[in-house]
Amino acid sequence: MLIKIQLFIGTLSIILLFITFELIRKKKLREEYSLLWLFTGAVILIFSIWPEYFLSRFFSQITGIFYLSAVVLLAFLFLLLIVFHFSVVISKLTDRNKELAQRHALLELEFREFRNSHPHSQNPSNQNG
Amino acid sequence: MKNKQKILVIIPAYHEEGSVGKVVEEVKQYLPRADALVVNDGSSDHTSEKAEASGAIVLNLPFNLGIGGAMQAGYQYAHEKGYDIAIQVDGDGQHNPKEIPKLLQTLIEKEVDMVIGSRFIGDSQFKSSMMRRVGISIFSRVISLIVGQKITDPTSGFRAASHRTIRLFAFDYPQDYPEPEVLVLLHQCGLKVAEVPVGMSKRYAGESSITKLRSIYYMVKVLLAIFVDCFKKHSF
Repeated sequence: MLIKIQLFIGTLSIILLFITFELIRKKKLREEYSLLWLFTGAVILIFSIWPEYFLSRFFSQITGIFYLSAVVLLAFLFLLLIVFHFSVVISKLTDRNKELAQRHALLELEFREFRNSHPHSQNPSNQNG
Repeated sequence: MKNKQKILVIIPAYHEEGSVGKVVEEVKQYLPRADALVVNDGSSDHTSEKAEASGAIVLNLPFNLGIGGAMQAGYQYAHEKGYDIAIQVDGDGQHNPKEIPKLLQTLIEKEVDMVIGSRFIGDSQFKSSMMRRVGISIFSRVISLIVGQKITDPTSGFRAASHRTIRLFAFDYPQDYPEPEVLVLLHQCGLKVAEVPVGMSKRYAGESSITKLRSIYYMVKVLLAIFVDCFKKHSF
């Protein structure tokens, strides 16, 4: 039973690591996230290779839970951390996005007013002025 | 001296092509010395063109930011161009521009930092659904308790702001439910607020489609937001 679970979780972590590497190679994942996911993948892989030494002896002695539950709990904690991290990042991005939109609008208005008050200073290549 | 102050009327508008022109014209009629700024919050209709045609300065946001972001953009403009007083008037026509001088007078005479046009004091008769009045009265109590001053209409968006408030709002303005939250923000920054009675008409176009369930949802969210605001740090 344990070997099946080990295989399943081991395969999962290898797939995760592989996808992370691919995304890093294609530059679709920023470093801060790639590190996080590489770490997550590595930890899950370690748990699947040495379940008894790492978990059954050490972890279940502390927590009193068995291997699978321990892995599920750990995975859950990791996901929680990652999702929390994402909310923080998204909040920051939303804020910056708003500031950019406001700045853009103010600059555009400034530009329109400037162009209207200087009708002759247009760039000749700009045809739809 | 009073006439030397630069006044900006900020009119946020999202899909208001039917009413924004009329609002701008009325503002110009009742307050000719003020500039009107329409903040077009990413509308896909002709709000921007209609506003421009009626003689307003138009600030076009590249996409919809919501009322908080749009209003803040207006305050940023006021701050950058050095306006002394800013007045908020909704683009849907529910605020009567005839009342603007009253807000202005109170702001100057009482030397406060924000004046709110309230539907619930004095002789103003405002008809609306039971649910909405109950909601507003709960907000009113909670806000009054927090700021230690009676606020009868915390959700009113008909307001006048001093130059100190303009400066604050250019850098810090609540996003989702700005009207009630602003009062907490002002209180935390030590700025003074006053209310004057105003009459309000129904919106020109469209209905406030707040159902019972949604108004409860809205209320819980705003109360939560206000609660969170009490812990925020503000630098002013």
